Amino acid sequence: MGAKQRVYRQRIRSTQSLGKIFRAMELIAASRIGKARERVGAASPYAKAITHAIEAVAVHGNVDHPLTIERTDTNRVALLVVTADRGMAGAYTANALRASERVREQLEAQGKEVVQYVAGRRGVSYFTFRHRPLAGQWTGGSDSPSVETAQEIARVLLAAFLAPASEGGVAELHVVYTRYHSMVNQESRVIRALPLEVVEGELGAGETVPPLYAFEPSAEEVLDALLPRYIEARVYSHLLQSAASELAARQRAMNTATTNAEDMIRSYTRLANAARQSEITQEISEIVSGADALAASS
Amino acid sequence: MTGNEKRMPTTPKKTPPAKTTAKTPAKTPAKTPAAKASAAPPRALGVGRVARVIGPVVDIEFPADAIPDMYNALEVDIDLSAQGEDEGVLHMTLEVEQHLGDNMVRAIALKPTDGLVRGTEVRDTGAPISVPVGDVTLGHVFNVIGEVLNAVPGEKIEITERWPIHRQPPAFDQLEPKTKMFETGIKVIDLLTPYVEGGKIGLFGGAGVGKTVLIQEMIYRVAHNHNGVSVFAGVGERTREGNDLIAEMTESGVIKQTALVFGQMDEPPGVRLRVALSALTMAEYFRDVKRQDVLLFIDNIFRFTQAGSEVSTLLGRMPSAVGYQPNLADEMGTLQERITSTRGHSITSLQAIYVPADDYTDPAPATTFAHLDATTELSREIASRGLYPAVDPLASSSRILNPRYVTREHYDTASAVKAILQRNKELQDIIAILGVDELSEEDKIIVSRARKIQQFLSQNTYMATQFTGVAGSTVPLTETVEAFAGIVKGSFDHISEQAFFNIGGLDDLEKNWIRIQKESS
Repeated sequence: MGAKQRVYRQRIRSTQSLGKIFRAMELIAASRIGKARERVGAASPYAKAITHAIEAVAVHGNVDHPLTIERTDTNRVALLVVTADRGMAGAYTANALRASERVREQLEAQGKEVVQYVAGRRGVSYFTFRHRPLAGQWTGGSDSPSVETAQEIARVLLAAFLAPASEGGVAELHVVYTRYHSMVNQESRVIRALPLEVVEGELGAGETVPPLYAFEPSAEEVLDALLPRYIEARVYSHLLQSAASELAARQRAMNTATTNAEDMIRSYTRLANAARQSEITQEISEIVSGADALAASS
Repeated sequence: MTGNEKRMPTTPKKTPPAKTTAKTPAKTPAKTPAAKASAAPPRALGVGRVARVIGPVVDIEFPADAIPDMYNALEVDIDLSAQGEDEGVLHMTLEVEQHLGDNMVRAIALKPTDGLVRGTEVRDTGAPISVPVGDVTLGHVFNVIGEVLNAVPGEKIEITERWPIHRQPPAFDQLEPKTKMFETGIKVIDLLTPYVEGGKIGLFGGAGVGKTVLIQEMIYRVAHNHNGVSVFAGVGERTREGNDLIAEMTESGVIKQTALVFGQMDEPPGVRLRVALSALTMAEYFRDVKRQDVLLFIDNIFRFTQAGSEVSTLLGRMPSAVGYQPNLADEMGTLQERITSTRGHSITSLQAIYVPADDYTDPAPATTFAHLDATTELSREIASRGLYPAVDPLASSSRILNPRYVTREHYDTASAVKAILQRNKELQDIIAILGVDELSEEDKIIVSRARKIQQFLSQNTYMATQFTGVAGSTVPLTETVEAFAGIVKGSFDHISEQAFFNIGGLDDLEKNWIRIQKESS
């Protein structure tokens, strides 16, 4: 077998085995995505309820609480970006990081100093490769985040938010995550989680006026108790959204990759066949012309 | 005639050429070792008659006691008016290629055999084809048998000396043992396939990837600054290109230091088979007698092999692999072994080699490979991306790309460049399947640097000035090495890819980058 043929056959083989991996990953992602969506659905009532409660307290409490007032003693802001642990999810991580870098630029243009937090191994390697400092990083389980991880992240972020300026406290907390809309549509989003933006008097259709509460012992204490839970719930919901998006992105990326691998195998097969055929043609013509020459001379 | 009779003489008669060629230098004043061996008594030169004509192959019957030696030149004068066609006499030279037995020799015509009829008288000249040598050849254009083609009417060309075109290669103990790099000012060549002074350099490439342009570029670059003489052999290529070359050389004045020998596509196979030898003989004279450094350009050595294959088939030899002549390696060897440098006097040769169907395993280019010190492979894929000279950085190689001959820095940079390009090539499959976002951070950097290297390996050439409107550039080797070391280290990571395209050295890069920044802002 000629050198050309061998090269093509080898490439076909390696592409085939890659194609198998992609196919398997596509199936795995497809089977997990249903569960991830369920978890998103299951977590959202609680997140909604607690957000609602916090808003109610903030609107009616008229309290000076760190939750609602802008800090002016420091220009540091925290930026958490949620990425994947593994690649093979197309542009999922790249999009999240791009959104994060955009926000960072905007914030820096406003004269703020960004303190970077990252969840997900791909994001961590992105920053460590560029020798950029990370204030906190969490890796593992990006496609099925646990409540414990969310609690841990929330604890660190809250500590930074409540810390005095001299101890590295931050004035704002921004989160970049990927919102899951549908199997084919996920979107990198940036939200400012803290301090809360309280919007007064603008109620959309179907919204209800926050109920009036009486706070015991005081609005401040209720807020203090609610704050960690609120952050936890938000972070957890972002992680779940991101996980569902990651799986959807992976499924789609793997689907494309499988198709690409098949295309490549097809074109390599054609080349290999052409190489084989030209070898055969050449050998036949050599044998025939050799035989002709012998026949003519005898 | 039976097959045995026909073929049998072929094989044994293949050996005499060595003897014949060994004898021939004796008839010249050259001090080759073989000169002592000549003691053949003078013999009456035979006159034979044409017995058979098949295209360029002519069988001639000679008297039994006056059979011409192998490779002897035979002469024929055909009186055209006698045949009622044209006026005048057609003079034709043939070369003996086979002794068939029965007093017959088989010869190859060096002109079209139109008008040759059975019974025509053929004279043995008693010597192989010879060509004029010496200073008289400079500034002139010759054909394979040494006739001047560009003589102005009335010009008298005094030929003082002729050498036969079949000669022995220099002995082992006369070869030049030193190795020195030959700087060309083309980045990709100097960095990745450094040429050897007095070495043999091959430019491989399929149809239309820029072999002839590159060889003309080299003539422009090196012949101008060269203080010896140059010899150009046009073997089986386009006549137009030969004309362009002559015009170009006349304009620049290089022709005063150059001898040109042409046997282009329109010539019979015998001519294309011998024209390289004619040019080489002129070059050898400058090396051995004038003791000068010679540049020898051959465009295209594949046509030599091709002509050999045509001749071989016409002579009735059994074809070998892919239809080539059975003595392919031998034929190439006898030519290539003569292109060499002797102590202190060099022949630096640049040979363009056509690669049929871009297949480097084809026997013709494969046989040529082994003889070369440096091979520059031109790639269609790179040419199709508009990167010229389209040198394939991974396939091209040089014997002297080794820290023994080039500087350590040069070697390390060249290795690093090749490593990055190789890695990039491996990553292309992954990118094709998964997309560029899947690459690790390190690999993304490698891909971006590799793309910059690929762009920076292109260069504005003097020959392309008329196409691009950008004048050519010459980049000193130290600058080339420094620039590529910079890319490899990442010093130019901030400069965008298109700034590296079609430029010379670091100054050009800086200017280009400033211009691009201005345009985009």
